[in-house]
Amino acid sequence: MKDPSLRLERAIEVALSGGVLVSGLLLLSGLVAGSHGLLRSGVVLLMLTPVARVLVLTLGLFHERDFLFGALSLWVLAVLASGIWVSVHL
Amino acid sequence: MNEPPLLLALLGAATGLVGALLGLGGGVFLVPLLTLALGVPIRAAVAASLISVIATASASSTVNLEKGLVNMRLGMTLEVATTLGGLAGSIIAALLTQRQLFLIFGATLGVMGAIMALRSGTRNVIEDLDVHPGRLGGRLQEGERTFVYRVRRLPLGLVASLVAGAISGLLGLGGGIIKVPVLNAFCGIPIRVSAATSAFMIGVTAAASSFIYFGRGDMALPMTAAIALGALPGSLLGARLSHKVETRSLKILMAFVLFIVGAQMAMKAL
Repeated sequence: MKDPSLRLERAIEVALSGGVLVSGLLLLSGLVAGSHGLLRSGVVLLMLTPVARVLVLTLGLFHERDFLFGALSLWVLAVLASGIWVSVHL
Repeated sequence: MNEPPLLLALLGAATGLVGALLGLGGGVFLVPLLTLALGVPIRAAVAASLISVIATASASSTVNLEKGLVNMRLGMTLEVATTLGGLAGSIIAALLTQRQLFLIFGATLGVMGAIMALRSGTRNVIEDLDVHPGRLGGRLQEGERTFVYRVRRLPLGLVASLVAGAISGLLGLGGGIIKVPVLNAFCGIPIRVSAATSAFMIGVTAAASSFIYFGRGDMALPMTAAIALGALPGSLLGARLSHKVETRSLKILMAFVLFIVGAQMAMKAL
């Protein structure tokens, strides 16, 4: 039980660090270059980082056959997805 | 952007540092600082704060996960209530006046601060390692020693998360200022685990609201970017420093923050 959980924690760490690092670089270059497009992509990527985190956790929990927590995680993902849907249709 | 980017980045770094130490996103400091001190319009300030909360939560979680401080299952369970609260927040907002909101919020924080201050000497951990932590509890490594903790009063934790989510949706915060004290004072979670698990959750809470602000076009991109760029290293440093700060000092710092923010909210209402 412990090992797959640890592996899941590492996978989430990678998702979070990746999102933070790439969006940080985009924001920095956007500020330096004065590019609206780069800033926009950096902010969007940063907003999607927690979503990626929930996605990885959901997949990992189902993979571990932890269906109760997997279902809870799926609910959170659904709420986030509805938020994105609303923002696209505003 | 009228404000110098360096000043904004420093502001982001300072709020990220304190936020990561205490498991808050730092929105409770950022929104008043931006609106009152720098004259930024409230919607732009809230939008920038939400992005900064996401940056703080994501960056500090990488460190906290590595240290084994995050209770992911507990976080996920409370996130269900938080996201529901976020949705409910927009409905409640229509029923209460802004003044009533600030008063309720300020009073809640004041009471919470008093509880944290009074409880600063008590600990939630069990030293007997044979005690089973239960499905949601866990183990905590502190230096050479390992402790066990069990989750108590989960329904209360869920209600607190619901309220935190609602407040987050209303005021553009992560909601950690409600979750951390309740988890620590009532639910049996050690302060470091409360802070790390809260930080893990608030990114998701803030993300949900940030899409709406972004979609509405309320985000001032250069200002938001400068603050987030400061928050990233600030929160990494805060999360790395957290184990160097004594548990008791963390609780007293939390009580202090609760009093200051509570008083400021109450003053806005009066």
